[in-house]
Amino acid sequence: MMSLAARSGAFSPYLQATSYAVAGPLKALIPAVVVKGDKVLVDTKKPFLTRESLNGQSPKSGPAVSVSINAKAGVRFAHTDVKVPDFSDYRRPELLDPNKSSQESSESRKAFSYLVTGATAVVGVYTAKTVAAQFVSSMSASADVLAMSKIEVKLSEIPEGKNMTFKWRGKPLFIRHRSAKEIAAEEAVEMAEFRDPQHDKDRVTNPKWIIVIGVCTHLGYVPIANAGDYGGYYCPCHGSHYDASGRIRKGPAPLNLEVPYYEFPDEDTVVVG
Amino acid sequence: LKVSTGCHSYQEFVTKLPSGLVIASLENYSPASRIGVFVKAGCRYESLENQGVTHLLRLAANLTTKGASAFRICRGVEAVGGSLGVTSSRENMMYSVDCLRDHIDTVMEYLINVTTAPEFRPWEVSDLTPRVRVDKALAAQNPQVGVIEALHEAAYKNALSNSLFCPDYMVGHVNADHMHNFIENNFTSARMALVGLGVDHRVLKQVGEQFLNIRSGVGATGSKAQYRGGEVREHNGSSLVHSAVVSEGAAVGTDEAMAFSVLQHILGAGPHIKRGSNSTSKLTQGIAKATADPFDASAFNANYSDSGLFGIYTISQSAAAGDVINAAIGQVKAAAGGVSEADLTCAKTQLKAEYLMSLESSEGLLDAMGSQALAGGTYHTPEAVLQKIDSVSATSVANAAKKFVLGKKSMASSGNLIKTPFVDEI
Repeated sequence: MMSLAARSGAFSPYLQATSYAVAGPLKALIPAVVVKGDKVLVDTKKPFLTRESLNGQSPKSGPAVSVSINAKAGVRFAHTDVKVPDFSDYRRPELLDPNKSSQESSESRKAFSYLVTGATAVVGVYTAKTVAAQFVSSMSASADVLAMSKIEVKLSEIPEGKNMTFKWRGKPLFIRHRSAKEIAAEEAVEMAEFRDPQHDKDRVTNPKWIIVIGVCTHLGYVPIANAGDYGGYYCPCHGSHYDASGRIRKGPAPLNLEVPYYEFPDEDTVVVG
Repeated sequence: LKVSTGCHSYQEFVTKLPSGLVIASLENYSPASRIGVFVKAGCRYESLENQGVTHLLRLAANLTTKGASAFRICRGVEAVGGSLGVTSSRENMMYSVDCLRDHIDTVMEYLINVTTAPEFRPWEVSDLTPRVRVDKALAAQNPQVGVIEALHEAAYKNALSNSLFCPDYMVGHVNADHMHNFIENNFTSARMALVGLGVDHRVLKQVGEQFLNIRSGVGATGSKAQYRGGEVREHNGSSLVHSAVVSEGAAVGTDEAMAFSVLQHILGAGPHIKRGSNSTSKLTQGIAKATADPFDASAFNANYSDSGLFGIYTISQSAAAGDVINAAIGQVKAAAGGVSEADLTCAKTQLKAEYLMSLESSEGLLDAMGSQALAGGTYHTPEAVLQKIDSVSATSVANAAKKFVLGKKSMASSGNLIKTPFVDEI
């Protein structure tokens, strides 16, 4: 490298200019440069003010330059050439000026952010609840199964005084079109006469139509319509007499005929169940 | 990691292959081995078309080669805890690896790949441009580097005037073709030496024969350096003036070179103790009489294969620069008139100590072995070198000083040059 019998010794570290591929673990860091984009900023402010600090600074021979993997590291300063993008398009207008204090706008910014966050959270919770409920309720009975539980009857097909029987939920369903005379008669009966006292008004929505389940409350047989001593139903198995309102009047049955839930969507139709 | 504990013989082996490749090794029984490939391919061999190519080659040591990718080289070297580096001077380039003795084959593989089969992929080479800029900026932090590069530019017409760093106009314009051509022309077996410390000579010889015999011949011969003697002045705002005044010195290996080295130590070649007034340095003593401000001065001595530079390097306050430089030159003139035996012995001792201490580290020893292998194909033992130093006489030292005084001077200065004399005013 340099002359055979003389080399620049340990006192002149400035003759080896070095550059580095990978930072090494054991060698000391030497003052490096900062790379900013295409410019390289150099800090040469190290002062040499005294005779002692100048001592040994003069080189004694020509330099040799070294580059090494695993040598003194200066390279870690060089990554400041990463360009930070300009985010002005995404900033709030009151924050665009880097020299202005952001304190004045802080309250309104916070209020807005918290409000939006709170509202979103509430909406989110409700959405989550709805979604979860929908998933859980998908395990309940399906529409066709539910449909089988209702029956829709056209009332105009039932003439006055006639009782019609329908199969509903596996049980017979009696729908009777009562005449005004029958209605008045049923409403006039004293409560004391009944084993299971119930006024007619409590058993019908529209007095013209009595809708009961045709299962005898004694042992579950099916009574016959338009039979018996009271102008209603008669169960032939054990002799239970029901009136035109389906209430027990005579016989072993303890309770009145069960009235199911029904509603009249219009004049002409009833949906039972 | 078995090292024999018996009686060790520290024997150097030097073999010169028919192709011209020199293989040298020394078994120093150290747990860490060091191998270097030395090539006579310093920046003096750059032509006017490819200035700066050696700077790029220096930075390209870790790039992809035919046998290993850049990632593999870096990871492989780090995995064994080794290091791969390249050092280049004006004459030579040294690629060296060091690691623990057991893993030397791994890193040797990478070393051979890097020196004989680099690919210089264009995108990898263009990625080196920011590193070139960082390198130059780092070097520019020290005025000394700038002054020495300017000194060589002023002193020579060609070859040795080339800078170790890529010139500004070539940053980003040195491409893979330049680098391939430079390798083809200069990395030839006759100009290479393979040197190892702590490795077996037979192994090294085998590696050399197998892998480093790829390019035979001497390649492009560099031109002989022509000394011209000029001046470069860089006026800037720095309050410290760095100034180097030299004239042509001696080539490496000659007796004259040894005389110049002794003269360098007579005049003052750096502090030898941490604090103190540099009482053995004639330059410091002489300049202290001329100025009271802080300064530093050293004799400068550079030896190349066909030429050399010898002179003084001073750092002074800008107002006192003229006095300092003139006082320093005055001291060299005084030495030309004759040196005392006491000074001569003192200088010889200092030179011997410096040389021997440089061999104490494995980097220094590898450097010395490699330089000698490239220069002469042999290795001179430290004892032989010490004898050579001892044989320098007072007259040869005085003649060396006369050569400086009478020779055509070159000068390079930087700083606030208000009071700095021009080279013809000294």
